[in-house]
Amino acid sequence: MKDNVTHKNKKCEVWAVGSGKGGTGKSFITSSIGIHLASKGKKIVLVDADFGAANLHTFVGVGKPQNSLTDFFEKKTPLKDLVVNCGVSDLGLVAGSMRSFEAENIKSQQKVKFFKHINQIETDIILIDLGAGSHFNTMDTFLLADKMIVVVAPELTAIENLYQFIKSAFFRKLRLVLDAHGLKTTFQETWKDREARGIKSLKDLIEYLICVSPQVRDIISREMSDFNLHIVVNQMRNGQDVFIGSSVKSICMKFLGFNARYSGSVEYDESVTRCINRKQPFMVTYPSSPVARAIGKLSENLLEGKEIIIGKNGSAY
Amino acid sequence: MEAHTEEYNKYFKVLELSPKAAISEIRSSYQRLKTLYSGDSIAITAVSDDFSEEQRQNILSQIEEAYTKLSDLFKNSERIVDGKPKNYKSVILDDSLRKYVADIASFTGSELRKIREKLGIELHDIAGFTRIRRQYFEDIELERFSGFSSEVYLKGYILAYAHYLSLDPAKVANDYIARYKAWKDSDNGSNNGKLQSAFRNQEDNNR
Repeated sequence: MKDNVTHKNKKCEVWAVGSGKGGTGKSFITSSIGIHLASKGKKIVLVDADFGAANLHTFVGVGKPQNSLTDFFEKKTPLKDLVVNCGVSDLGLVAGSMRSFEAENIKSQQKVKFFKHINQIETDIILIDLGAGSHFNTMDTFLLADKMIVVVAPELTAIENLYQFIKSAFFRKLRLVLDAHGLKTTFQETWKDREARGIKSLKDLIEYLICVSPQVRDIISREMSDFNLHIVVNQMRNGQDVFIGSSVKSICMKFLGFNARYSGSVEYDESVTRCINRKQPFMVTYPSSPVARAIGKLSENLLEGKEIIIGKNGSAY
Repeated sequence: MEAHTEEYNKYFKVLELSPKAAISEIRSSYQRLKTLYSGDSIAITAVSDDFSEEQRQNILSQIEEAYTKLSDLFKNSERIVDGKPKNYKSVILDDSLRKYVADIASFTGSELRKIREKLGIELHDIAGFTRIRRQYFEDIELERFSGFSSEVYLKGYILAYAHYLSLDPAKVANDYIARYKAWKDSDNGSNNGKLQSAFRNQEDNNR
């Protein structure tokens, strides 16, 4: 798979942050993790890959940079030359391309190049802010990452879209992996005749494919155990909301069959919106607020592969 | 816990725990998952379109099975504490530890601590299960007798502690209370200690 090729000799880790639904605070979480880790001595580069609605720069308190990903895709400017400094030391930013509405139609060759270039940026961690939703460009970038992070808010629609996002990501991965093993037709034909075969869901598809041959079974079981999700609950409004993360994690594992970690939970705070409106980075403005402490804990959990533990009374630590 | 087979690891996985989890964690994880899969949390509702009743029941029975098997791993017995029956789940002592315990002439705080550490049990496990403050168990092990307002309370705590470790509660309590009495009759059990315990009781009332 291309992942293995591009990841060879790589120096940095790539973390991608996605969410099924807009408005869950994904860009806020991404930028805040970046600011926190930069303050702890890590070199961070944020990449705004939300091709439709790029405004990650606002979250780190800088104006719209002159150059953006559009220059990479249209003028072939090397990605590393597009990194601009933010107000925070050790934090770089590759701005998104608001103008380029066609960006959603990036050709697959360009994407492969984008993945290669990302790994050439000299830094410790690259944090990619993805567009909300399950577009296949978003999926491919998500699947490229060393850490796949999903942000969800404690509301029904956000959770529904999150499951959809996760399923789409694995569907895409399944297709790419089987392609890479020369099993493209197996996948395509199964999917084409899905109705006749009684395949109604991703789970049905997986169960069907597993029975096709031992080779396919081994590929799928390996890919499923490699598929690690890191769940973040944002905008918690009450003490019970912290349990949403463990519930979602449980369903990802028991129902969808993937590995999942509950990496952190962040409460709702209206001063976050106030900071965004004033173009102030929240983490710099309110470094000792409960939200900033939760972001700190979340960042360290992600770094160390740990997860939060919930006490009997619902307190997360 | 010794000798975890693949099978037990599977049960721990069903309850989403590490194989080192204590009985208190097993219990709370079981309760949480059971509530989740039998209830209508938005995390479940969001997936209900492709979640059949049959699958839900299947998951619930897996959770149930895992809990039953793991509880069997820890011994299940009915005990009487302070005249009230309590369902205590305690740990199993292996042969070498049983021999070690049998050789103890008199249970002291430090002996109890040694046994607990050999079993790999944390104080908060006992506290979580018995719903008695962890501080009291620490005081028991360190023989900080001034932390107890009366013998009756101490006896309750020491019985709960001994049950949890699968020790003979009557023997442990007898030995230990004798040490408490000896301390009380000496100079140590004077005003200072009483003040401390009165203060702690006040805290308890405020909780």
